[in-house]
Amino acid sequence: MSKLEKILQSAFFRTIISILIGFAVGAIFLLIVNISPAEAYAKLFSSIFSNPKSLSYCVVYATPLIILGLSVAFSFRTGVFNIGAEGQFVVGSMAACVVGILVPAPPIVLPILCIAAAAAAGALWGIIVGFLKVKWGINEVLSMIMFNWIAFYLSNYIADLPIIKNEGNAEATKNVQEAAMILLPKSWIDSLGLCNSASWGILIAAILAVVVYIIIEKTSLGYSLKAVGFNRDAAEYGGINANRSVLIALAISGAMGGIAGATNLLGIGQRIAIFTAQESYGFQGIIAALIGASNPLGVFVGGLFYGAIKYGGSRLNIIGAPSEVVNVIMGTVIFLIAISHIFNFRLRKKKKGGDK
Amino acid sequence: MKKLIALLLALVMCLSLVACGTSDDATTGDAATGDATTEDTAAGDDAVAETIKVGMVTDVGGVNDQSFNQTSWEGLQALAAEDPTFEVSYLESKTDADYASNIESFIDEDYDLIICVGYMLANATREAAEANPDQMFAIIDDNSCADLPNVACLMFAQEQSSYLVGVVAGLATESNTVGYVQGQVSDSMNQFGVGFISGVLSVNPEATVLQYNVNSFADAPGGSTAATNMITNGADVIFHAAGGTGNGVIEACAANGVYAIGVDTDQSPLAPEYVLTSAMKRVDNAVQDISKAVKDGTFTAGTHLYDMTNGGVDIAPTQDLLTEEMIAAVEEAKAGILDGSIVVPTTAAEVPEFTLAAAE
Amino acid sequence: MDNFINNLGILIYATLLYTAPLLYAAMGSCFSEVSGVVNIGIEGMMTVGAFTGATVAYFTGNPWLGFVCAGLAGMAFALLHGIATIQFGADQTISGTAINFLAPGVAIVTAKAIFNSSDTVPLDPSSKIPTLFAGVFSSGTPWSNFMKNVFSTYASTYLVFVVLVVVWFVFYKTRFGLRMRACGEHPLACQSLGINVHRTRMICVCLSGFLAGLGGACMTMATSNQFRPTSIVGQGFIAIAAVIFGKFRPQGAMIGCLLFGLCSGLRVVIGSSSLNISVQLLSMIPYVVTVIVLILFVGKSHVPAANGKPFVKTK
Repeated sequence: MSKLEKILQSAFFRTIISILIGFAVGAIFLLIVNISPAEAYAKLFSSIFSNPKSLSYCVVYATPLIILGLSVAFSFRTGVFNIGAEGQFVVGSMAACVVGILVPAPPIVLPILCIAAAAAAGALWGIIVGFLKVKWGINEVLSMIMFNWIAFYLSNYIADLPIIKNEGNAEATKNVQEAAMILLPKSWIDSLGLCNSASWGILIAAILAVVVYIIIEKTSLGYSLKAVGFNRDAAEYGGINANRSVLIALAISGAMGGIAGATNLLGIGQRIAIFTAQESYGFQGIIAALIGASNPLGVFVGGLFYGAIKYGGSRLNIIGAPSEVVNVIMGTVIFLIAISHIFNFRLRKKKKGGDK
Repeated sequence: MKKLIALLLALVMCLSLVACGTSDDATTGDAATGDATTEDTAAGDDAVAETIKVGMVTDVGGVNDQSFNQTSWEGLQALAAEDPTFEVSYLESKTDADYASNIESFIDEDYDLIICVGYMLANATREAAEANPDQMFAIIDDNSCADLPNVACLMFAQEQSSYLVGVVAGLATESNTVGYVQGQVSDSMNQFGVGFISGVLSVNPEATVLQYNVNSFADAPGGSTAATNMITNGADVIFHAAGGTGNGVIEACAANGVYAIGVDTDQSPLAPEYVLTSAMKRVDNAVQDISKAVKDGTFTAGTHLYDMTNGGVDIAPTQDLLTEEMIAAVEEAKAGILDGSIVVPTTAAEVPEFTLAAAE
Repeated sequence: MDNFINNLGILIYATLLYTAPLLYAAMGSCFSEVSGVVNIGIEGMMTVGAFTGATVAYFTGNPWLGFVCAGLAGMAFALLHGIATIQFGADQTISGTAINFLAPGVAIVTAKAIFNSSDTVPLDPSSKIPTLFAGVFSSGTPWSNFMKNVFSTYASTYLVFVVLVVVWFVFYKTRFGLRMRACGEHPLACQSLGINVHRTRMICVCLSGFLAGLGGACMTMATSNQFRPTSIVGQGFIAIAAVIFGKFRPQGAMIGCLLFGLCSGLRVVIGSSSLNISVQLLSMIPYVVTVIVLILFVGKSHVPAANGKPFVKTK
């Protein structure tokens, strides 16, 4: 196989093609609403790349998506579909928020406590679903959908408790203590011209990406989790406790969902508002995982890409273009990635069964 | 099949290249102008005298919330249509964490005035206003930033408008039972309810007001159920302050042949035969006023109260379903509010006292 | 007692109101899942149906034309899903997720192109789906209130139960139903019997989109009278949950939807009573009850054996 052919057939190349077509489809819809695609995409990209501040905002927006993407990717690799990342994110944020408001602790210690609490809450949310599955055989997709909404209202309930609630008239919690925040030092932010919400979150995301890679590829735990995901019966035959594996996989996945909530809260959110609608971080995490083909490095890059498009795309409103075009683009990209194996750029022809 | 795909791809590549090519040019252009203007931001008032850029940041309800975000945006659009010196745009916040970055985007684009819609943006507005003392801000429904020298707090006496529709409801009810459906418990939502109840009781002390909080602005079936429940329990006029949930309320009222009362905008088009009237909150007037003030150089910070006296709140202009008696009562109540003889309560605790006083 | 009758009437009213859109979508989901194709894109198909229904009805003034077009719009996106997953063997979850992003995006952008707003213009009562027994029952006594509330529901709600019977019949009494279920369990065996697995699955996926589109239209043409971006918020997923709840059978899915609708109604009835319970906790009722009922009465769900697995034709 020639080098060119190798490049043409790589997943990366296919993803790039998918993204290009995604933008082309987006352009068609922009034309429908009478907006020049060139102008709109110029706005999109200039919003992303115009200065260090906007770039750092993209990273800030990408951070929770990367971590959620890792959570979803991890679940994919272990044979469950973590559609419950939304709920884990919400309970994680709330746990971090409660600790960040109420626990008196010094800087550095407090953020660690917050993140630990978030991980525990997210893991618990995952384990409940896993327990329902192994104990009563309840389908995890079903219970995750339910637990996403239960998390939503639980968060609203807690945010409304007098000890947590904002003293002003905002329908939100108090701000977490300054000591709980994981922002970069002020001097760095000023000298580099970053946004005020630039935080260590991206580093946490990078560390988690490495951790996920190691667990999946380098440990026997990862091996048994993958085995159960691949073929449960065969794995059990091979001496792996499948129920235990499902619980562990959901706990790890859930913990990451929770950490994603914590980093978002301690980085940019600072408080939790009473929700009026689901924020759909969970589904955005699924998108990040899909762009990255469930590979930790891929998810990291995919999350950055999505974060940037999300940030830049929301600026389309400034020139009167509908920001929903971003959803059209991302939907198209994911759709094309799903069928990307048909972009078969073979240099020599080869007959394949089923291909018309 | 393969040929088709290849053709498609080629087309796409060309398109994207075109898009990318132009985007590069525009990007550098944008950046250049951006740099140029940042340097003389302080003296920017003279330089940008030709266009006044007004940016609006929505809360998480989004620009089509059928409530204050939408009214603000419609106000700005109307302003830009009538006076081309105004250039208006908005940014939607999807989550609570988006407020700061949206405000910053407008600052970076050298907007003359940034309008933050809703009390949820109070913290973000305060931070941005303190960090950018030369930037003019306006915030709707919040008074906590009134101490800052560059923030205009646009406050609305919404209880006055809901008082007026309450008067209408109190007169319209034959069963002496009216309903109030709200979308969320919050200070400003509660003020709607308090004003409404006071209005009802002022003309009809015998009336019962049924209340229900659907806990969502997007649950139309929930609104329908709550309204049907009230109707079954005897209500024949129902007021809502519940955004999209209110669609369900109006729907249920129409289905049962009773009157509904809309909120924020004139909601008569939703069901012309059944929407009796609406409690209007003229956020559109307020944002136009403050934008014009920026143009004329008369921008002032601090609290700007919009109430009956300056047309900030009012009853809907559509009065097809109102009887002479109702219109007269509304006019009387308006006069009372204007001359200060009626002070509409803003908290539930004040209602009993107010009703007693009104009965005397 | 009077109070009880009143509340019962409200509960039935609310149950029917919440159930109708869910049940259309759930039956759609049944078709797809049973034939072996996971369709997580139901939510997106509902959204596009909701938009198309409200838009067509607005321009033509004909609610039933709008209703059918809503189904066709849902079907168009289902066709995309079908082509990707059946023809090209794409991952069904990924394709479905893509539809969930794509379809609402297309709906809202198109709305902005047509109406210059993400909301459609409210429908006149004449272009809405009618209520069949409007004005037949007068209010007054508790029982007449009861009858009035129970029968104040929309034609689309009655229709959904008719459709349910038809779907049940197709599932269990026709050759197509048998083939379809076989395709979800043993596609290879089906092929060896000369059944065209791809075609059967494609028909099922298209039907699922059609029904999901109808479900979406219920929200914007009956329950409410305009499309808004928040018209469909999670109903598609609840419908999928109801199908899993009902063990992939239409009649089971119906029970799932009715249970969910009943709990949503219960929330309003309890919330309007003098009991002082946090509204946030009340809002959890439908979700918590679903989980509890699952644990107590339903338990393990049999997933069609070939569900989620692309079928590659063998020679």
